[in-house]
Amino acid sequence: MEVTVLVQATDKAFEILEKARNEARELLYSSAKLTSETKSLAERRQARAFLSGAQQSKLALRNFTIAFFVLFAFWILLSARFDYFHLTLGIICSMLVAYMSHDLLFSNIRLGDVRIKARRFFAAAPWFLGQIFSANLHVAYLALSPKMPVDPQIIRFKTKLESDISWVALANSITLTPGTITVDIREGEFFVHALDRKVAYELSTGQMEDKIAHVLMEADHVYIQDVLDVSRIFGALK
Amino acid sequence: MIGQIEDVIIQTFCRLIIPFMQVFALYVIAHGHHSPGGGFQGGCILGASFILLCVAYDIGEAKGRMSEKLNVMLCSLGVIIFGGIGVVCLILGANYLDYGILHKLLRVDVPQARSLGILGIEIGVGFAVMAAMISIFLNLASRGEHEEAIEWE
Repeated sequence: MEVTVLVQATDKAFEILEKARNEARELLYSSAKLTSETKSLAERRQARAFLSGAQQSKLALRNFTIAFFVLFAFWILLSARFDYFHLTLGIICSMLVAYMSHDLLFSNIRLGDVRIKARRFFAAAPWFLGQIFSANLHVAYLALSPKMPVDPQIIRFKTKLESDISWVALANSITLTPGTITVDIREGEFFVHALDRKVAYELSTGQMEDKIAHVLMEADHVYIQDVLDVSRIFGALK
Repeated sequence: MIGQIEDVIIQTFCRLIIPFMQVFALYVIAHGHHSPGGGFQGGCILGASFILLCVAYDIGEAKGRMSEKLNVMLCSLGVIIFGGIGVVCLILGANYLDYGILHKLLRVDVPQARSLGILGIEIGVGFAVMAAMISIFLNLASRGEHEEAIEWE
């Protein structure tokens, strides 16, 4: 009787030991798997950071090259001497300036075909000129009429344009049109001084804003930063 | 102080115009012996481009591109280029800043040696004037408080 109890107890003890060993082994395996997983994750993250860094430096190189050619063209326009000595000087100077300030020239640039932009600009230019002409006539009428029916007012409106270049283009178009002057832009809100009610009304229709958005491809824009983000997400998914 | 008002129009125009301004300044320096201009004028324009950056953005932005240490070094370098070319002429046996004698060193004929000598002088003057302009502006705008100590070891 005692012997059977003893044997059973030993059996049970062995069982428990076996179970504990299995559990310990599983735990070990899972922890090993976990470390390998975190390691591979860290590696992947490092690779991704490296990739995006490479993309950024490629972007910087591209900006540098474009800035160099633009500035060298400007140098040739100024210098107009085509001997080797002055061309070499020009190349050195343009490279120096492009190195110093290519990030100034190309901050927050958007993708978009320059040819399409140029075509749209020339298509829209007559409309702008006509607008300026009619506004000129209107201001001349206001100034020359004996009663001088001016009604100066500052109007404010929120623009739907996004980039600083578009804001500046719109602000300068408004200032260029007689009778209206852009006073300030604060976080996408324009403060415009208008000479009378008619001018203010024409401004508030937003036609000029639409034209600018069309010329600068604001509606169908893609930022380079967006492309970088999307490529990162795409790489992670893959 | 400077940099508290942020104006999108001014900032955008400044960032677009500054590179062209710098190329124009270097053009004025490099063509000083052919056309109006020269080291002083070009250096002023080059200094003004950095001052414009200070005015439109803030002083930190400009200091990130041209630190005070580099500025002082460029100022001294300009003077060294100017004086060095003069002393080289003196060593070669002519008067101070008599560039014609440089033809012995550069292996070109005398008129071209004069032209190159004047170019070198103007580059030196340009550096010195640019750096002096920037440091005058920075000292005035920051009331003489240098965040970054200029130490020589």
